[in-house]
Amino acid sequence: MSDRDAPFEVTPVRPAPGAPAESTVAERKWLGSWARSFTVSERNVFLLLAVVIGLFSGMAVVCFRILIEWVRLALLGSALAPAPLRVLLVPTAGGLVVAFLVQKYFRAARGSGVNQTKGAVYVFDGYVPFRTVIGKFVTCSIAIGSGHSLGPEDPSLQMGAGIASAFGRRFNLSRDKLRLLAPVGAAAGLAAAFNAPISAVLFVIEEVIGTWSASALGAIVLAAVSSSVVLRSFLGSEPMFRVPAYVLGHPAELLAYAVLGVVGGMVSLVFTRIISYFRPKLRDLPDWTRYFQPGIAGFLIGLIGLKMPQTFGTGYPYIDQALHNQYAWGMLAVLGFAKILTTSLSFVTGTPGGMFAPTLFIGAMIGGAIGGLEHQFFPQVGASVAPFALVGMGTFFAGFLRVPITSVFMVVETTGSYSIVLPVMIANTIAYVISRKYQEVALFDLLAKQDNLELPSMEEQREQIVLRVEDAMRKLKSQPLQASDTLGHALGVAENSGEEVLLVRFPTGRWAGLTKADFTDLSARYPRELLLREVLPTARLPVLHPDQRLDDALRFIPGHTLLPVVSRAGSRKLEGVLSLPDILAAYQKAT
Amino acid sequence: MLLSFILLALFFVITAALARAYHMREEGLVEEWSEKGKSDLATGEPAKAFEDFRNALSYGPENRFVELRLAEALLADGRYAEARSYLLALWESAPGSGEVSLDLAHDSLRLGNVNEAIHYLGDAILGSWEREPALNRRNVRVELCELLLSHGRTADAQAEIAGLAADTPPGNAPQREETGRFFLRAGEPDRALVEFEAALHVDPRESKWLAEAGQAAFQAGDYSRAETYLSRAVREDPSLGAQQSLELVRDVLANDPFYLGLSEEEVARRIARDLDQGLARLRACQASGTPSSLSLPALQGLAKDAQDFQKRVSRRALERSPQEQNDAIQLTFKIVDATSKGCGPGTGLDQALELIEKQSQGRAP
Repeated sequence: MSDRDAPFEVTPVRPAPGAPAESTVAERKWLGSWARSFTVSERNVFLLLAVVIGLFSGMAVVCFRILIEWVRLALLGSALAPAPLRVLLVPTAGGLVVAFLVQKYFRAARGSGVNQTKGAVYVFDGYVPFRTVIGKFVTCSIAIGSGHSLGPEDPSLQMGAGIASAFGRRFNLSRDKLRLLAPVGAAAGLAAAFNAPISAVLFVIEEVIGTWSASALGAIVLAAVSSSVVLRSFLGSEPMFRVPAYVLGHPAELLAYAVLGVVGGMVSLVFTRIISYFRPKLRDLPDWTRYFQPGIAGFLIGLIGLKMPQTFGTGYPYIDQALHNQYAWGMLAVLGFAKILTTSLSFVTGTPGGMFAPTLFIGAMIGGAIGGLEHQFFPQVGASVAPFALVGMGTFFAGFLRVPITSVFMVVETTGSYSIVLPVMIANTIAYVISRKYQEVALFDLLAKQDNLELPSMEEQREQIVLRVEDAMRKLKSQPLQASDTLGHALGVAENSGEEVLLVRFPTGRWAGLTKADFTDLSARYPRELLLREVLPTARLPVLHPDQRLDDALRFIPGHTLLPVVSRAGSRKLEGVLSLPDILAAYQKAT
Repeated sequence: MLLSFILLALFFVITAALARAYHMREEGLVEEWSEKGKSDLATGEPAKAFEDFRNALSYGPENRFVELRLAEALLADGRYAEARSYLLALWESAPGSGEVSLDLAHDSLRLGNVNEAIHYLGDAILGSWEREPALNRRNVRVELCELLLSHGRTADAQAEIAGLAADTPPGNAPQREETGRFFLRAGEPDRALVEFEAALHVDPRESKWLAEAGQAAFQAGDYSRAETYLSRAVREDPSLGAQQSLELVRDVLANDPFYLGLSEEEVARRIARDLDQGLARLRACQASGTPSSLSLPALQGLAKDAQDFQKRVSRRALERSPQEQNDAIQLTFKIVDATSKGCGPGTGLDQALELIEKQSQGRAP
């Protein structure tokens, strides 16, 4: 057998005395890398937490909704139209109990929960006391279950934020991550409450955090999806409302929906004004009156409920009825305005509960009324009441809560009907524009101001004029130098130039900036015949583009007197230059 | 993190238990309100039934059975547009449901849209039925036949009745009889007779079916069979009202000169008697003053022709000459035709003559 044919053998090497065996070293290295691969960074913990928060929030919302139903069944009975005595007594008693609990134990449970969540993000470093979650859970269940005209969605949002906040504190997350965690929980809570994850994500972005932050978006989506999955597995995956199929018969129908947009915008203005006028008035009353305000509101709601039990609670079964043409247009209009009254009563007296459900109810009724009216006088408008009620929900949502994008997806997701999207977009936009024009401050911002909270207005942020580099840049007084120019030539140009800094362009698109003093210094160290690219081998300036935000440019300016603004089509093409005084001048001009 | 997962598991168990209890309660409420609704609907209180079903639906919004009952309560309460909205939503979720299609047809009918009703009835026949599909499909087809016939769409009805006949089991006498009556109404007495005879196979002494078979044979112009069935019907149940038809059939059979197997003498005798009868009716018609000024001269002309013929042709000549027989018959038929136009349809022997005339002209009786 030749050496070639001999079997391959590995001769073990004996380790030096005292040194670890080679296999042990290898094992340790491998274990080290394995362990490193399992090292959980805060970012990964954050994403994992988002899923866990979604699961918890989803289950909390399931329990919340079940509790509301049980309270309603126990107090008002199983019929949609309860007995008259219950109609009068239950909301009154419910209001009194809720007021007592809020005043004594859960003061932070007042209101809808949206601004409280924003407050947690912007004022309290993402901190939502868990006591508030419990308070919201208990008080809202009693309030909504006893017939107060409020909904479970906004409280679910706050409960989600509270659960997220508790987890964040438990895992000692940084303050920055804690702030981000509250919106994550809010999205989870809202997604489960509406069974609408897309709308929940959009709402949190539109109303709570205001920007499409990449760091938060992934976690928000994960939380919303996981909470929706939980809700669907426990309470079913059907959309909230079942609607007949809609087909746009004729493009002229869109005009009818435009009219709905106008009316929806105006009615939402009325609703906003009522709440913004009466809420501070009642808050200014002596503290002891707060023990009775929800009870009195409950009694008045009961009086209205004697004739219109539809205005009780969330009103979802009645939205379903409106969507199935079960009311004449006159009745729809009356129900819409009655709901404005009952919801205002509940909300301005500080009864805990949300505004989303009543908003959808009012929108559906007003929309249905407009549809019925148009159908009566213009029968050629093909659509029946149902699509108008459907579009009305989104319209009022857009006009009242001022979340135009969310409102469109909300309708699509809660009904599972995509075909309605065109009329919804038209009507929502009109309602939003009208509301924006005649009510400068959005409802949530108004409520925050009444609560002495200076929360950032997402609407204002969205509509703020964005200054860009092109608004501040100026032309260079002299032509930029080329990398192929000699140092002597550059020195001559520098002496005659009006610019403090001269830019040098390299063939690769790289830019360098030198002051006159720099050139004098270089000419003292190198022969004047040398080319600039030989004396400036590594010099490099950051470059800007004309469409970049001026705020972003500020991050590059420190340490540089002047920065080149180049074309996106090629960084060799100079569009202008930008200096710190230019930026400041632009900001000054804008204000 | 471990604690979180333990908490998660615990919370999951609690939520699952709560959700289960909640769903059971919901199902109980759906059942409770549905039963109440059904009872209210049965006692003729559709408005209350509607409220009950609506309550039931608020706990089981996807319950198709309740939704259907609710739509039916709305239909019974005359709230057709609302019913339609529910039914359309149901139809979209279950386009193959025969029950939903049938309710939609009823709704369309009440809203006056016959074509749509026919369309939905067609869907209901082809649709799925959870209980007794064959019987339900037959009932819908019966309804469709009824609708088509009542709206004069005879050709469409004939196709549906043919379908009905094909689906009818041979031994189901009541259904065969029902199909026969539809054929009769649709102007197909031959096929009606087949159905009635099939029914009579099951019970040959059922007087109603005998009378209907006699009527079908009569309309088909088969007076011998008509006489057989009608006489049996009268024998079985004299109170049935078939006596008059029987007498008419017997008049036809006794006076028809074309009846097969008659002797020459009998043919001539019948022809002469028919002419006499026609002339008598003609005179009565002229005397009544009923005929219009337009038909009076024609009647006078016919009377003169008949008198001339009687003077010119003896009974013996009539027996021997087929030509004279034919002339006499043609003259009689002209008289029958003119008198029925001038003075309206005859009765008794006159009516029998009219039937003989129609049959000889190849027209339906």
